[in-house]
Amino acid sequence: MDYLSHLYLPGAVALWSALLFSLAAMWGYALALSGDSGALSFARRSYSFFALSIFLTAVVLSLSLMARDFRIEYVYQYSGMDLPGYYQFAAFWAGQKGSFMIWLFWGTMLGLLVRRTTGRNEPAVMGIYTLTLLGLLLILVRENPFVMLRQTPVDGQGLNPLLQDNWMVIHPPIMFIGYAATAIPFSFAMASLWRRKYDGWAARAFPWALGGFLVLGTAILMGGYWAYKTLGWGGYWGWDPVENASFIPWLFGTVLIHGLYMERTKGRYRRANYVLTFLTYISVLYGTFLTRSGVLADFSVHSFVDLGISGWLTLLLGGFMALGLYLIVTRWKEIPTEPNEDPFLSRGSFLVLGTISILAAALLITAGTSAPLLTRFMESQSQVGPSFYNKVNLPIAMLVALLLSFVPYLTWKGTPWRELLRKMALPIAFGVIVAVAAAVWRVRDAFHLVFILLAALALATNLQKTVDKFRAGGIKALGGYLTHVGVGVILLGIIASAGYDKSTKVTLTQGVPHKVEAMTLTFKRFIPRVGREKERMEIEVARAGQKPFMVYPKMFMNDRTRQMMVNPDIKTSPFQDLYVSPIEFDPGQPKLQLAKGQTGQVGDMEIRFIRFNLEMEGNAMVAMQQGKPVTIGAELAITRQGRTVNATPLYRLDASRGTFEAPPLSLPGGATIAVAGINAGSGAVQLDVSGVASPARLSIDVTEKPLIQLVWGGLYVVLIGGILTLIQRARQARVLEGLEVLEG
Amino acid sequence: MKKSRLYLFGVLLLLAFAGFSFTAFKDSMTPYVSYERAREGDRVVQVAGALEKGSYSYAAARESLFFTLQDPKSKQTLRVRYKGLKPANFEDAISIVAIGHYDPKAQEFEANKLLVKCPSKYQGAEVEKTYS
Repeated sequence: MDYLSHLYLPGAVALWSALLFSLAAMWGYALALSGDSGALSFARRSYSFFALSIFLTAVVLSLSLMARDFRIEYVYQYSGMDLPGYYQFAAFWAGQKGSFMIWLFWGTMLGLLVRRTTGRNEPAVMGIYTLTLLGLLLILVRENPFVMLRQTPVDGQGLNPLLQDNWMVIHPPIMFIGYAATAIPFSFAMASLWRRKYDGWAARAFPWALGGFLVLGTAILMGGYWAYKTLGWGGYWGWDPVENASFIPWLFGTVLIHGLYMERTKGRYRRANYVLTFLTYISVLYGTFLTRSGVLADFSVHSFVDLGISGWLTLLLGGFMALGLYLIVTRWKEIPTEPNEDPFLSRGSFLVLGTISILAAALLITAGTSAPLLTRFMESQSQVGPSFYNKVNLPIAMLVALLLSFVPYLTWKGTPWRELLRKMALPIAFGVIVAVAAAVWRVRDAFHLVFILLAALALATNLQKTVDKFRAGGIKALGGYLTHVGVGVILLGIIASAGYDKSTKVTLTQGVPHKVEAMTLTFKRFIPRVGREKERMEIEVARAGQKPFMVYPKMFMNDRTRQMMVNPDIKTSPFQDLYVSPIEFDPGQPKLQLAKGQTGQVGDMEIRFIRFNLEMEGNAMVAMQQGKPVTIGAELAITRQGRTVNATPLYRLDASRGTFEAPPLSLPGGATIAVAGINAGSGAVQLDVSGVASPARLSIDVTEKPLIQLVWGGLYVVLIGGILTLIQRARQARVLEGLEVLEG
Repeated sequence: MKKSRLYLFGVLLLLAFAGFSFTAFKDSMTPYVSYERAREGDRVVQVAGALEKGSYSYAAARESLFFTLQDPKSKQTLRVRYKGLKPANFEDAISIVAIGHYDPKAQEFEANKLLVKCPSKYQGAEVEKTYS
């Protein structure tokens, strides 16, 4: 009972009901599968109650967070009194338990939609799908998010300052919808294998595969944006294990979409698609295992520590791998296949080559991310650097661009060279022009020039085809081509912004112009915190023949953790981003020590120490003898721009408590002055002067990133193309539904 | 006949690429090693340790940072040189990973990349930043 008394029961009970109902749903689906037709409605009802329980669990966790109920350990660990409401809510997914919770939440909610699209396969599909959810649920039942502390703390530990960003509110939940969605095509495929009914599942799973691809793609785009715009990591992509963990399933998902397209149009790829749904789903579990179990703790910027769930994650991963492999291997020979009789210059062949290429990229990235695991038992554990990923993916990207350039004008039956070249004349001209322009600009590497040529070619042929399709029949069937236009744009953006960026690290002295490349940078001033607006640095950037502009990177101390936080500022112009990220700031506020009658210089101020005044608040000597607090004034004469003012900052010492107080005194010109200490032996005073033009120094990283907008723009085009395709495929799946009803 | 030749070409291409990938993989590997192993100085490695108190100095003019890493377990130390600006909060680092190679002439580890972990009470969210 001791265990129970340390659980927040409303949440825990909801979670346990979810376990109960999910088991009931599994049982119901199993009965229905073995022919008990009455069991299906029982299973459906159980699933609905399961979804309701999960919904309530999430509501309880959200409410506890919003109410700042610090009795609950999770609330205590990830939120605090000073957190604004939306971050308090976003603390839901700040920790491991909450991440699994949001994943499970989306998974369960998606299930409510999935079961309407399963047709007659509902028991098998939903049975397997519920099983995947059960795996997550078991982790949460074990690592209960509703564990309570023995005492109620007054305040929580707060949210990691790096996560206090608007993207934190939106990026992780979308990522987890994408993760949850990968289980859907997997369930359709495994159900089809289970029932030995190899037709029809592909059409039903297709919209779900597309939807997952879109959502995951959106999440990756947002993550890159977050890393680039606010975290100051210098780029949008760093091949970090956590980034890879979402990218790998997305690549497998990309291959899967093309496989399903092949199966739907030509009846090909039937075996491969089972393997691809398997890989997409398993790679999500594997990525979770890598990043959440602590095996990579020493290698990732995101480094998650082991919560004691490694065992469960291994079991989950192993279990679903075993299930999938068993079904695929035992049914392999039965899966109908179509012989590949396509000529080389045909759409089919190019699709095969393209999917193999992307598959290779996905597998290589998996291998790279797994390096610490692969080398674990070798002499010394290793990781691979970004150079590996860049090196191996560059040729793959070139090959993909080449294939993409031809695909729009290749037919299934095959297209002769001559006709192909005639149709591609305009795009080829475009590609050559772009490559020549790049060479004139500053690309000298032949390999890169070919890359640019191919990317521009892929962009142009697909754009030409998109326009043709649009003229012929509106936006119905152009989604795929539009997506490929986006891929070409992204590739151009990547090579320009990553291969030809110019990065310089400089230390600027306040007010002194500094030349960097063709720019003149001047650190103007430090702007203190105003309300919610954090401390900023004002830097003027001037280019010959252009109006100078200011950039405001931020650099501030997090009050709670005393961590220095850095936010870059980005000045976007049509052809490049100027990326300014602070590294270190030296405020240059001098401590001045002056003996009686001595004069010191701080910026444009001359400060003369006249004498100590012991009569400020009663006689100091008397007070000292009585053991009372003592107040001493330091009489100063301050000369600035020919004008002299007198100032007497105070120093209050409470010897009995050992504390002192020295209120800063404002001076004309905006500076403040305070007594930092009194040296009784030499009769000298130490002064703290701030807000004065004593040269502060700011070290920054200045990077010019050419054409980086193409990366974002291209990704948007990919996503829009994906949405169009999704609409088209969902319509087809619905038609199929209608046919099934007609057949009775 | 023609088709089989095409397949052969494809297989050869795949094999060549696999070989290329394997080399790239091996080249970019940076193993975690002990200080002793790092001192052999034959390859790029990463070493980890705690910043020995008061051991760092920063030459602002040359933008060079010098510090001593101490292995928390063996208590061995390694002198590190890093050419670049001093990372913010460097003094507070609880653990530092230096990636680079040992320079036997200067008897120092020459780091071209630093990973600095600063203390944080947040579970699993040590603020870690990379400097290169």
